[in-house]
Amino acid sequence: MAQIFPQSANRLPLVIAVAALVLPAVAVGGVWYFFSPRFTDVGYQPVQPVPYSHKLHAGDMQIDCRYCHASVEKSPIANVPPTQACMNCHLLVSRNVESLAPIRDSLKTGTPMRWLRVHKLGEYAYFNHRAHVSSGIGCVSCHGHIEEMEIVRQVEPLSMSWCLDCHRNPTPHLRPLSEITNMAWKPARDPEARARQLAALRPVKPPVDCSGCHR
Amino acid sequence: MSAEYWRSLGELEDTAESRAFREREFQEGASEPPEGLSRRSLLQLLGASAGAAGLAACRRPEERIVPYVEAPEQVVPGVPRYYATTMPSGTSAYGLVVESHEGRPTKLEGNELHPASLGSSSARMQASVLDLYDPDRSQLVLKKGEPATWADFVAAWKERAKAHAAGGEGLAVLAAPSASPTLFRLAAAFQASYPRARFVTWTPVSDANALAGIARAAGRPLLPVYRLEKAKAILAIDADILHTDPEMVRHTRAFAAGRRVQGPGDSMSRLWAVEALLSITGANADHRLRLPARQIPGFVAALAASLRGHGLAIDAPAAPELPGVDAAWLRALAEDLLANRGASLIVAGPRQPAAVHAAVVALNAALGNLSATVDYREPVDALLPSPATFADLVKALRDGQVKTLVILGGNPVYDAPADLEFKAAAAKAEELVHVGAHVDETAALASWHVPSAHFLEAWGDARASCGTLSVVQPLIMPLYGAKSAVEVLSLLASGEDLPGHDLVQATWRPILGESADFEKRWNRVLHDGLLPDSAIPGVKLVPKPGTLAELATAAQAQGSGELEVVFQACPKLEDGAFANNAWLQELPDAITKVTWDNPLLVSPTSAAKLGLKDEDVVKLELAGRSLELPVLRVPGIADGTLVVSLGYGRTRAGRVGNGVGFDAFPLRTTAGLDLATDVKLTPAGRTHPLAQTQEHGTMEGRSIIREATLARYRQDPKFATDTLPLFSLWKEHEYKSRPQWGMVIDLNACTGCNACSVACQSENNVPVVGKDQVRRGREMAWLRVDRYFSGPPEAPAAAFQPVPCMQCENAPCEQVCPVAATVHDADGLNAMVYNRCIGTRYCSNNCPYKVRRFNFFNFTKDTPRVLKLVNNPDVTVRARGVMEKCTYCVQRLSAAKIDARLGGRELKDGDAKTACQQACPAEAIRFGDLLDLESQVAKARSNDRTYALLAELNTRPRTTYQARLRNPHPALAATPQEVKDPSHA
Repeated sequence: MAQIFPQSANRLPLVIAVAALVLPAVAVGGVWYFFSPRFTDVGYQPVQPVPYSHKLHAGDMQIDCRYCHASVEKSPIANVPPTQACMNCHLLVSRNVESLAPIRDSLKTGTPMRWLRVHKLGEYAYFNHRAHVSSGIGCVSCHGHIEEMEIVRQVEPLSMSWCLDCHRNPTPHLRPLSEITNMAWKPARDPEARARQLAALRPVKPPVDCSGCHR
Repeated sequence: MSAEYWRSLGELEDTAESRAFREREFQEGASEPPEGLSRRSLLQLLGASAGAAGLAACRRPEERIVPYVEAPEQVVPGVPRYYATTMPSGTSAYGLVVESHEGRPTKLEGNELHPASLGSSSARMQASVLDLYDPDRSQLVLKKGEPATWADFVAAWKERAKAHAAGGEGLAVLAAPSASPTLFRLAAAFQASYPRARFVTWTPVSDANALAGIARAAGRPLLPVYRLEKAKAILAIDADILHTDPEMVRHTRAFAAGRRVQGPGDSMSRLWAVEALLSITGANADHRLRLPARQIPGFVAALAASLRGHGLAIDAPAAPELPGVDAAWLRALAEDLLANRGASLIVAGPRQPAAVHAAVVALNAALGNLSATVDYREPVDALLPSPATFADLVKALRDGQVKTLVILGGNPVYDAPADLEFKAAAAKAEELVHVGAHVDETAALASWHVPSAHFLEAWGDARASCGTLSVVQPLIMPLYGAKSAVEVLSLLASGEDLPGHDLVQATWRPILGESADFEKRWNRVLHDGLLPDSAIPGVKLVPKPGTLAELATAAQAQGSGELEVVFQACPKLEDGAFANNAWLQELPDAITKVTWDNPLLVSPTSAAKLGLKDEDVVKLELAGRSLELPVLRVPGIADGTLVVSLGYGRTRAGRVGNGVGFDAFPLRTTAGLDLATDVKLTPAGRTHPLAQTQEHGTMEGRSIIREATLARYRQDPKFATDTLPLFSLWKEHEYKSRPQWGMVIDLNACTGCNACSVACQSENNVPVVGKDQVRRGREMAWLRVDRYFSGPPEAPAAAFQPVPCMQCENAPCEQVCPVAATVHDADGLNAMVYNRCIGTRYCSNNCPYKVRRFNFFNFTKDTPRVLKLVNNPDVTVRARGVMEKCTYCVQRLSAAKIDARLGGRELKDGDAKTACQQACPAEAIRFGDLLDLESQVAKARSNDRTYALLAELNTRPRTTYQARLRNPHPALAATPQEVKDPSHA
């Protein structure tokens, strides 16, 4: 009787078996990584309407973060500075630079600037900046080295598991309140010195229940 | 004592429908899409939207951050600011503290310092924030219906004023009653500029009868101020002092305080009520007599005669016996009032004729209540309503004597008495200026329409009922350039266009005293929300003689006949002014639990006699006019009395109010403003569906409300305590860390006013679903107030129970959620995580209290942009397909915990208040940390009256209740069942 299948078809069951193991693993792993915030959100670097450089202002000129983001210790939301804050200096400095034209126009016409949001949580998650900053979490812990960025990009995934990693063990991330905006600060190695650093902080009780953030 | 409770007449009669209704968790049609959308078209729509989504921004949707250009000083984005202001309402005013997010007022609370609100609020006060953002508000000045500007109107007015330069002949202003010093000053200025002009104050439903009666007794109109906290025996004669009265917040607080029982040694006041319709006051009364409204003056005459017979020194003539009044009942009432001389109080309601009010002044005086439980004070700065002057105005209009009519608020084309034919008369004026919040029925006729400002966006001032002065401080610039009444009246009086702020300050300079620190004192008044020690004391009053004799005569003049119609302003919508307020339309009526409608209320006996069932449409004929509307049987209404609610059937209220309900104003004539007796009722042969929340989620006859008389409580303080041996098969979780949140609701204080329900809706962005959805059981209220009747259906007692999420420690809902969208947190809350919920609804299925509400549709999809401003930014706005429920206002708890922790202090009692707790006028809701043994909630929880709802299910709820007590007179029936109506012996 004639053979229906060529001899090379003998390898087919083996190929199928291997594929059945490898392909789902690849699919699952692919979705696991490529659909996670670590891939989709980290590195997000939108181009802003005005090429504001944190590297120049916060890095080289060492302007404190809180000069512009003034409500970060008082409010659940960390504000983006109003046009007035920019013009405080730029009425005198770089008065006629072309790239600052949108800012000058904003002040003149009363139309606010429309910056693009870089760090965003789902709207069902309520993050409170004041609770974190006033408890001793530095800016760099979540936002990375902003003072080295010409254009701001997201460096941490800000996913729920990433938040919970700290919430379940906050102590390594705490720093004295005077060092919140110090990008170069490192926790002391010596346990006694470290204890002294933590002593002045308020008691930290990060919620690990759903209702802590989801309401 | 075991009273059998029943939820509705259907349940009592155990009809097949009612049984079927109760057996299903979700009613038929609950999970079906609305008409007109087949499965096929639904899938097509879904497919199309999925395709469109794929083409959106590649990485992530762009979101913009839009900061200020010049940041206002002191505004920290994200941190709400609180400002004190006042809500004026007729001749009353309520002090408020308003929460404002980035310049948008989002939530109103009572001002603890203000005597009219004392930190609490009513349902209408809570709902009034929605009116600010009403998308159907008038936004433009209109000249004969065409858009114009305020400057156009000012110029036109200046021109028009020349025609009235000679004393104001032919000029008339129609204003609503108010108690505003600035408005009063400007009205006087107007009268001085135009001595021959008419200034008429009028509103369709007012306390004009009371003022006329008091004027008869005292020689001049005075305003009564009741002090229920000092009264041990209170008689409410057709007076809903606990609900529809403008002072309900203050009265409810005082009433609840007079009945608060911590232990068997405490005493309670006693409330007697005589009324034709069933009101909240009647439902909460220890003794209630239901009488047709036309017999109530006769009752008062009989009471006066009885008091005289018991030795009170009054000149009451002998009164005939009334068939519906049990002699023993009347005797007990008279004895109770006499036993509490100086601590008793008789109040007559606004529907009662002036003769009754005059007699009540005399009786209160004779009982020694003046300057004790009731004060009559001069109406300083008050523009009081006068129906007679209004009738004169309409006659003058009809005769062509009024050339220019300015209507400063109010909608007389819709709500003026029908026999005056206001619309035809007003059409004769050459110029009709209407100042109003909506382009309503009256604006349709006007040559000029000016949008009027909401109290949250305009300057003004007001006196509360006790006379305390306060300023109305705006929280936001007028959204649409609207003008306030003071600004318009100032223009009319002086021809100058001055801003409201300057006008109010001009009034307050003499009040605060012109001095160097005026600004400082002005700011202090703005900050506190009132001017301390500005209350007006009561006058020394000796009532004029003869009022009781006049009452006896007036009582006989009441009509006879089988049927009578009582007109009541809708307890929710007032006279229709709030018809476009969706929260109030969807709020179930406190007694009938009807939403979005105003049926004709009738007693079950009368309905049976007339052959009527619920929802049958009848034709009601009154004095030659007719109206077709559905019938609803309400236990407790007097036989032969038909109750009609005013304020519905509007045609130009806006998208919410148009076409809702039935307009009863055409039936209302000057002869029968409150009561009409020439009534004919015929069935119309069809039905009209009513949306009631009443039978939804019935609890199947378990021990839901526990109550007893005070006497029984004294004998057996633990009558309400659960004695079930609940034990667990495994080691239960121990809650040791502070705080552990809990709530105790005192049913002895709750009057059923529903303020908590609207406060919760305001705080938590609870959507409105509309009449059709309410009929399917999909109302979204996180906190509902259940009403239970007990006793005979003709004269039942009623009890109210607010039901929020119980936050069970052993929650049935948590155990069945397949995706862990509802979990327990360390503070004892049952947390709801909207983003995990996939909509199986198993949690609601398992909840024995049925407090979980499901978003069957995206109820916020079509929200107009301006209406989104009222949302609380700290609470998620839920989408379709997720379950939601009371969270103990977790956003407030979280904020309080953070504030305490970062402030370096422990959480103390009162730091965190839920919205319902803060709003409740009776302070019936106690909330806080159960492990703080000094807190009010911990003390209430360990009280002997406290019990858990459905405790036998072992859910271990964190919300518990305190049993209700009644205080019947020792001489009368000991059970809460009312004295039997002798005509049904």
